[in-house]
Formats: sequence, C-alpha cells, structure tokens
Amino acid sequence: MSTPSARTIAAVVGCSILVLLPLFGSDFFVDFVMTRTLMLGLAASTLIFLSAYGGMVSLAQWLMFGVAGFAVGNVVAKSGRGLQLGMNAWIGVLVAIIVTTALALLLGTLSARSTGIYFLMLTLVYAVIGFYFFGQVITFSGFGGMTGIDPPGFFADEPKRIYYAGLLLSVLAYVGFRAIARTPFGLSLQGVRDDPIRMSSLGFNVQLHRTLAFTLAGFVAGFAGILNIWWNGQIDPTSISISPTLDLLIIAVIGGIAHLEGAWLGAFVFVSANIYLRDIPVLGDLGGFIEERVLAPERFNTVIGIVLLLIMLLSPDGLAGIIVRIRDAVDRRLGRDSPDVHRTPAEIETAGREPEGWSTPEADWIEPHDAGPTS
Amino acid sequence: MTSNATTPNTSRTTLLRLESVVVAFGGLVAVSNIDLDVARGDRLAVLGPNGAGKTTLFNAIAGDITPTEGRVLIKGVDCTSLPSRLRPQLGVARTYQKTRLFAGLTVEDNLYLAQTGKQRRHLSLWRGSRDAELRERARHAAGQVWLTDQLDAEVGDLSHGQQRQLEVGMALVTEPDLIMLDEPASGLSRGERERLIQLLEDLPTETTLLLIEHDMDVALKVADSVVVMADGVKVAAGSPDEIRNDPLVHAIYLGEEGAA
Repeated sequence: MSTPSARTIAAVVGCSILVLLPLFGSDFFVDFVMTRTLMLGLAASTLIFLSAYGGMVSLAQWLMFGVAGFAVGNVVAKSGRGLQLGMNAWIGVLVAIIVTTALALLLGTLSARSTGIYFLMLTLVYAVIGFYFFGQVITFSGFGGMTGIDPPGFFADEPKRIYYAGLLLSVLAYVGFRAIARTPFGLSLQGVRDDPIRMSSLGFNVQLHRTLAFTLAGFVAGFAGILNIWWNGQIDPTSISISPTLDLLIIAVIGGIAHLEGAWLGAFVFVSANIYLRDIPVLGDLGGFIEERVLAPERFNTVIGIVLLLIMLLSPDGLAGIIVRIRDAVDRRLGRDSPDVHRTPAEIETAGREPEGWSTPEADWIEPHDAGPTS
Repeated sequence: MTSNATTPNTSRTTLLRLESVVVAFGGLVAVSNIDLDVARGDRLAVLGPNGAGKTTLFNAIAGDITPTEGRVLIKGVDCTSLPSRLRPQLGVARTYQKTRLFAGLTVEDNLYLAQTGKQRRHLSLWRGSRDAELRERARHAAGQVWLTDQLDAEVGDLSHGQQRQLEVGMALVTEPDLIMLDEPASGLSRGERERLIQLLEDLPTETTLLLIEHDMDVALKVADSVVVMADGVKVAAGSPDEIRNDPLVHAIYLGEEGAA
C-alpha cells in the first residue's frame, strides 16, 4: 500500500491519459486494442473479485459474458438467426442484465457449498454446458451464430463512445469492487474466504455470501458481454467455448489474480500480444526450413503460453505484483517506511517472551500422556 | 472468590444442559453419555488427556457436529441439531483449539466481523449507523486481549501468541452469555497466562464460562467447578480442590506407570 496521495495521483494520471487517449491515439489503437482491453478487463475483474475477496476461482465468468451477448442478440436482431425479436437496443440491455444476473444467482446457489478445486471444476462444467447449450439449441444461437446486432444509435454513430462506455464501466467496477470490500458484506466475504467454519460459528450464512458474490460478479460480467456485442455486432457459440473461457483465466493470472488492477493489465498484455506479436517478422522463413513466420496467428497460443510462463516464474502475483514490488523497493530506497512493517512493536514484545510450551511446575503433573482414542 | 460461588442453588437458572449426549464417529465413541448442567454465571472447566473427547463435546455444544444421541439445551431451547450459525443468536461464542482467524484481514476487522454475524447486518452494502459503535467495541476488545498496538496489522502477520489472544478476543467481543474457550492458554508464556487468568476472572459475573484446558494452572484458578473426562466418559466432577486431590485424576493424567 502506498500513501493514499500517491495512489490518488497515479489514478488521476492514469484516468486522464485514458480519457484523452482518443485525441492522440490512432483509431486502430483505441478501437481494437483499448476497447477490447477494457471489455476483457471488465470481465476479468469479476473473476479476480471472486478470487481475491471470496476465494472462489470461477471459470463461469466468460459464460456470463457470452449469455449477455446472446440475450442482446436475440432481443435486438431484426432478421437472420435467433429469436429475431427486433426490439429496442436498450430493452436488449435490460433483458441481458436480468437474464445474466438470474443465471448467476441460480448457478451461484448450486455451487455455494463448493470450494477450491471443486468450485473450479463445477464452474468449468457450467462453461461447458453453456457452450453446448448455445451450440445445439439453435433457437437461441442460430446455427452458426448471430450477426447484424446493432448497438443503440448513440453508440452506433461514433464507435469511440463504446470505448468511453468501457472506460466508465471499468472505473465503476474497479472503484465499486474496492468499496464493497470495505462494507460489512465485503468484509464478511473476505472472512468466508479465510475461514468459512469460523464465519459459520459467528452466525454468518456462508453459502448465502458466496451466492450473492457470484451473482454480483455475474451482473458485472453481463455488462462486459453487452459492450462486446455492441463492439462486435455478432456472436456465435464458438466464442464461449473452452478456449476463450481459459483465456479469461490466463488474463487474470498474467495481470495478478490477487489484485483488481491486474484484470486490465492482463487484458492489455493479452490483447496487445494477440494483435501486435504476429506482425513481428521474427526469424523470417529461416532459409526455407520453416516456411511460415514463427509468430503467425496460429502460434498465438504458444506465444501467450510463454508469456504466461515467464510472468508466473518472475512473479506468481502477476504484473500487478511486480508493480507492487517495484513500488515497495522505491519506498525503501527513499527511506520511507513501508506501512507493511507494522509488526515491529509486536516483535519487540515477543523478544522477551519465554519459549512456547514452557510450563509451570504445577502444570507438569497435568501434562497429558498419550491416551489415544477409544477403539 | 467470586460472588457466584456463594449464590444459593435455588436461584440458579440453567443455561446449558446436556442430556445423555453421545457422539460416535462410526464405531469410535468419542463422547459417551455425558450429562451436564451449567447454571448462568458458572465457570466450568473440562479437563482430560488428549483424545478424551473434550473438543468433540465442545463441537457438539457449539453445533459444529450433531450428537449421535441425546439432547443439547441452551437457555431451555433444544438446539441439538440447530446449525452452528444460528447459535450466536442464543448468546453462544466459542474459540478454537487450532486458531481459526481471518488471516487476510486486520485485527480490527476480525473483531468487527465477529460481531456483525450476530447483528444480522452482514449482507449490507452500507456501513450503517451502528458501524462506528461496532468498530469502537472491536478496538475495546483488542485492548482487553492486549492487541491495541496491532489493530491495523494483518492477522496472518501476528505471532502465535498474539493469534491466541485474538482468538479469545473474537469470543469476548460478542458479549456472549455462554463463552466457550478451547485451550485458550496453549502457546502463551507465563506472563500472558497470568493476564489471561485475570481477564477471565474479570468477566461479568452473569457470563457463563466453559473452558477446556490442559493447563491446570489456568483451569483450576478460573473455574469454580471442574469436570474430568477420559476416553469419552465423565470420570470425575467437583470443585478445583477436590479435583486437585483426586487420586483417580492423578492416575488418568499420569498414566498407569505414574500411578504405580
């Protein structure tokens, strides 16, 4: 933790750059790199929220993202495939959010008793079910997906407005998640993360907490899915298959799964790698030995895999963790006490303490022998 | 001597009553046919060697496990199969033998959370008007267990002894009617143990204390009655002095070799 003022300055500078970006950044950079970064970052932030504050690593967040997209598609598209209800785009937003949140509530209730690897597997099952549902129930997905889904006129007129919507929602999600962490609900959620059994004996309904957190995350992921379909104009079942489901987890891990900021950092690295790395003519054609460029689009998974590996080796806490460490190192260099060093008084106190297990003569006769359990 | 020791039996109201409680795990009978009557304001210590079934009995009272047979009544309410999360409403608070704290939160947040479960405000997204009061009580409780200097420290960074102190604080802060401490003195230094004894002796007289302790020093000073368990069975009960001089208790604790 830096001093609040330093954090505030960083936030203000960062936001200013992002707000002014469309003025000096190229259209390509804003529309393709940054808009996608914000959308994916928003989706990944729900994964990180659940993981960092609730101890739940969810693979169902991409499903929420996709369901919101399909809901918009079915409600808004006038012709083509799907339900073709042809309604107002804002009604599409409303329906998408309601459907996504209700689904998250349902799935969250079903998985509220599961933790750790079981929760991960259960949410992976949700993702697989969702993929096959939209792959096979063509009433809702069209056979090969839906196209021609227009955003509301306000956003259709000027594509950069989707960028600003993404920025606004990202800021709201970031600030909102952080604020929630300090409310009774958020603190309880962190208690559930650290020790559910203690929470239960203190009078908390642990399952209800997990369910509500999952629902909240689904609600926010729904907004990311809406932005995506406005930006993309189309959606098909492959877009919610296992591969992109795992991509969201990769984004979160690259960014740092313990830090909300990591969601957007990871998304930026992922999107940049996806767009730019393939254009670098590394290794040419190696004199005919390898015909194609090494970083051809087909090699993207290899590249992002190596990036992931490097980051995990360098910093298990992801990019956000690296930034935190650099900041702490700078603080130390400047001679400022890192506020993390708050255990000094405790250490002073423990210094004079007798070793553990020390006992009074009176206690000696009560020292238990190994009775062993009754058989 | 505290005043409750001289209170006549007629005016005592039963706070906790166990009727023939049995806890069995498959073929292993961990707690066998225990009856217990604890009046409001009693200070009862449960002693016994490892594996005697003390903690299992505790878990049955706290609702972490449901007894195989028998009944648990708290304030006259049959809560044999009431889930543990509904027991704080009855004024029950417990600590754990193996520390169970929220390692990622600060000491103050831990003590704050300990109260919010009971307040039924824990789903709120707003701090609310009572929040400041809960924070104040959290800080007060931190003072009671000598953790004022560590209020903002993350609990995972505390020493073992400090975590044990916080464990007791987590129960104290809810101002319970029945406080159940599972080996609160384990891992404490002598000085800390004396402070713990002082703290327990200073509990309000109407607070009922149920204590599991290996450390005779703490148990016999704080308790005004003692139950000794061995192999899941209640083998002795009486005042601290009676227990201290009971040859059977000596035999159980020291083993057959020691008794011979």
